[in-house]
Amino acid sequence: MLKRTLSSPVVFNIKNRMRVLGLLVLVCPLVIFIRLFYMQTFLHEAFTSKAERAIYNYLAEDRLRGKILDVNGRALAESVRTHSCGISKRYVKDKTKTVDFLAQTLGLSKNYILEKWKESGNFFFVAKKIKPDNYIKIAEILRTPLGQGLELTPEYERIHPYEDSALDIIGAANSKNFGLSGIEQMYNKELSQDISRKRAKHIRRGEIIYDRKLKEDVSVGNVYLTIDAVAQYYAEKALRKAVTELGAEHGIALVQEPATGRLIAAASYPVKDGQSLAFQFTYEPGSTFKTIALSAALDAGTAHVTDSIDMEGRKWEVVKGFTIRDNQHDKNFLSIAEMMQLSSNIGAGKIALELGAKDLFYYIKAFGFGTKTDINFNGESKGSITPYNKWTKVDTVTKGYGYGVAVTPIQLINAYSAIANRGILMQPHLVDRIEYANGKIDKRAKPIKIRRVLKEETTATMKKILQSVVENGSGKRARIVGYNVAGKTGTAEKLSKEGGYGKRSHVVSFCGFLPVTDPQFTILVILDNPSKYAFGGTAAAPVFKEIAEPLLTWKGVKPDQLDFE
Amino acid sequence: MPIFRLMFIIAILAFLVVWVRTEVDRSGRAIGKLQNEVEVKEARNQYLKLEILRLSNPQTISQQAKEQFGFVPLHPSRVVVLDK
Repeated sequence: MLKRTLSSPVVFNIKNRMRVLGLLVLVCPLVIFIRLFYMQTFLHEAFTSKAERAIYNYLAEDRLRGKILDVNGRALAESVRTHSCGISKRYVKDKTKTVDFLAQTLGLSKNYILEKWKESGNFFFVAKKIKPDNYIKIAEILRTPLGQGLELTPEYERIHPYEDSALDIIGAANSKNFGLSGIEQMYNKELSQDISRKRAKHIRRGEIIYDRKLKEDVSVGNVYLTIDAVAQYYAEKALRKAVTELGAEHGIALVQEPATGRLIAAASYPVKDGQSLAFQFTYEPGSTFKTIALSAALDAGTAHVTDSIDMEGRKWEVVKGFTIRDNQHDKNFLSIAEMMQLSSNIGAGKIALELGAKDLFYYIKAFGFGTKTDINFNGESKGSITPYNKWTKVDTVTKGYGYGVAVTPIQLINAYSAIANRGILMQPHLVDRIEYANGKIDKRAKPIKIRRVLKEETTATMKKILQSVVENGSGKRARIVGYNVAGKTGTAEKLSKEGGYGKRSHVVSFCGFLPVTDPQFTILVILDNPSKYAFGGTAAAPVFKEIAEPLLTWKGVKPDQLDFE
Repeated sequence: MPIFRLMFIIAILAFLVVWVRTEVDRSGRAIGKLQNEVEVKEARNQYLKLEILRLSNPQTISQQAKEQFGFVPLHPSRVVVLDK
């Protein structure tokens, strides 16, 4: 065995020291090399995706988004290129002058900018999405000594030229240009630029170099709604006025073309981004539902237009403990037309009972209640209708006048449109077409017949009855000189939180179509819980008229009454 | 003599390099200025388009027509519709 002492020349001589030093010098790069090799080989994927995420995240903010337009091409939502203004502190020549200029141009306080200057590192954003006129002012001095250190970063801002018009349908897109609600969310894929085809390098803050060939490759689609901005304006204007005057919680106004099922206006008030009450609101319709029960009974043959209904002294005890009263008239017998004109609950209940639960259920389902309309609006409700085998006698009777059934506005207007459209239920449409940059057009609003709900003769009778409601009954305030209007009022008590129906809490509505001889528009107006005393005939029918009159003028619809002044 | 020729050629080449670089720099600045002008004009154009959209709002038109010219909506029964 070799014995070494502390004074051994083997350990401490110069040569060995140099060897150790050389080894150390070699080991360090070797470790670095091994680490680099490991990163390049095993961590390559992770780092690549991290880098791509950083790039695409940036691009997502900057990318173009398609427009949402009305049926005639008026832009309701559009992305405009704006800029964010930033400062690279180290390049600024005269801090005081630059800060003064920015404060004056952007309408900011000097202290605000100086605070940001103090708090941030070399770069910070002074303002985001600056207005075009401010951008012009800054861009003009960018290449002068005053503009040195300033950076304008491009980005897109979603703007609504018609302000809050149809905003409940359009919805919202976030700052990264992703749709969050409404059409923006439903058609996010079509509206978004395909970033997988757009290569870019994020070379430094605020600057992107695009692949030249792909820079102009715009793959976004523009979504055209069936909504007409002018019709929407008329509906929103009338609705806003009514909701404000009556102190209602909400208001809904829909306008549909009965022959095609296209919605040409869908207004909710107050407006909330992407929350259209036309599709999401469910309520017990009350008397507007009598039209459904009566048309079903006429179609099935259990009721006839010449029938007379016994009013049971205006106090009908359906079963022990459940009595219906008609306080709005003093007649012992009512004809079918009078029953609708006076909106008799006893009459509608008796008609429903005569028809029977099974057949009433069948017709309610055939009209599309209890099923989503496939209009594909996010959050659309299907309403609620329990199967007929669970109905009691009282359930059958109350459904005849619109209680014990929950419907959505779109379902109700579509059902009235089926009557206007000679008994054929049409698929409602909200999106007309999608036009892509390459010229491809995806037509979405082709008229689609869902089914025949009523015989044509039945609809002819129903039109006359509903016309008589407007001429002689509760819907008089919907009358329009020169035009035959058909419709039905509704005043439904709302379920109270304590249980039962609240006498002071109502949903008032009117649904109708015109001109009766060749219906062009079906219009539904709903006012939810007006604080002032109101009925469908006094509150909702005038709104119907206010929407219908300018629509008739604007569309140039011929009067169908011959002898009017 | 060959050394002087070589030096002369090098000097010419150096001058050319300097001239080319100066020209590139000058052209770059000119292009940058033009690009800036294009951006300014595009921004102004976009701003004007936005104004047109805002002014074409039915609400604005209706309000302006009423305030400036006293126009009111015509009753539909007073419209004469011609057959096509």
